[in-house]
Amino acid sequence: MTDDELDQRVRASVLAEEVDTSRVAGAVRNRIQKPRRVALWALAAAAAASIALAAFLWPQIPPICVAAAQDHEREIVKGEPRRWLTDLSAIDALADKQGVPASAIAALGTTGYRLERGRLCFLKKQIFLHLVYTKDGSQYSVYLRPRTDEASFTNSVRGAENLAYFDTSHLTAVFVSNGANAQAFARAGARAFQPQMNADEHGS
Amino acid sequence: MPHLAALLRVARRLTVDLASAEDLAQETMLLAWRGFHGFQTGTNARAWLFRILFNAFHAAARKPSVTVSGWSAIHAQTQEAIEIAEALEALPIEQRTVLLMCVVEGFTCREAAAILEVPIGTVMSRLSRAREELRKSLAPLAKEAYR
Repeated sequence: MTDDELDQRVRASVLAEEVDTSRVAGAVRNRIQKPRRVALWALAAAAAASIALAAFLWPQIPPICVAAAQDHEREIVKGEPRRWLTDLSAIDALADKQGVPASAIAALGTTGYRLERGRLCFLKKQIFLHLVYTKDGSQYSVYLRPRTDEASFTNSVRGAENLAYFDTSHLTAVFVSNGANAQAFARAGARAFQPQMNADEHGS
Repeated sequence: MPHLAALLRVARRLTVDLASAEDLAQETMLLAWRGFHGFQTGTNARAWLFRILFNAFHAAARKPSVTVSGWSAIHAQTQEAIEIAEALEALPIEQRTVLLMCVVEGFTCREAAAILEVPIGTVMSRLSRAREELRKSLAPLAKEAYR
């Protein structure tokens, strides 16, 4: 028997045997797909956790600021008709009646922004003194309300570029602008309020 | 799955039973899947898979089937197939491996040497001895056939 004859017989005999690969193929597919499923679940869980964390860490805009922005849009940007006080002494008297210290309005007057008009409005069922200031042709709304709650004191300015707010121990102030300068006005206001806030703290 | 039948066919003649052979083939495919980044496109995928199979076989230190009453002989369909299966199983594992690679799976001696990581001269001498052993084992069958 030559090598070729021998090889041919061996090859034919071995290749004639049936080879059932279904069990192995199924097992391999299971092993390959299982880690994929686990990885997909892990990915989904990580994504959900990231979204939750982002939502938690994302700067929250207080509802009162959102209401102020909506009010500014209606009354200043769209110019819906309202009755405004333009006389400064009348505005001071209105502020005094609402418990907003006249010193706060005076302090805002030192920031380079000019008080143009004022009126009372409701934001989230709370009465605010709505003051409109102008500077360089832009209009800014400032919403002031004396604080009655026991919330913690903070004078840091927060919010978006066209929306800023801060609390003193006695006053809540919300600043809204059409553009992106609300924070600048709010910071100027916060600085102007500082001596008054210190005086209030020392006096109390 | 490409080449799985060939892998399982060879694995069946390296291991003592079908379950071990299937485990070896499965492990080979999983290793190939995990290490696919190591495969160079354009090279012989079949040779690459067999190399993985033999590495896995040696790594697991599986006991080769050395008895003539192995399962492949039991599964053979004809008398000649039984004789050949028994003759194959009687071969030392090194000779059997080379014979399967070169004669059954069609690899050249050079390719088999690369897969098995032995010199080509070793492959050729093992193949020669394997043929000689097979010839002796199958001699009665050959006489029967030529009678």
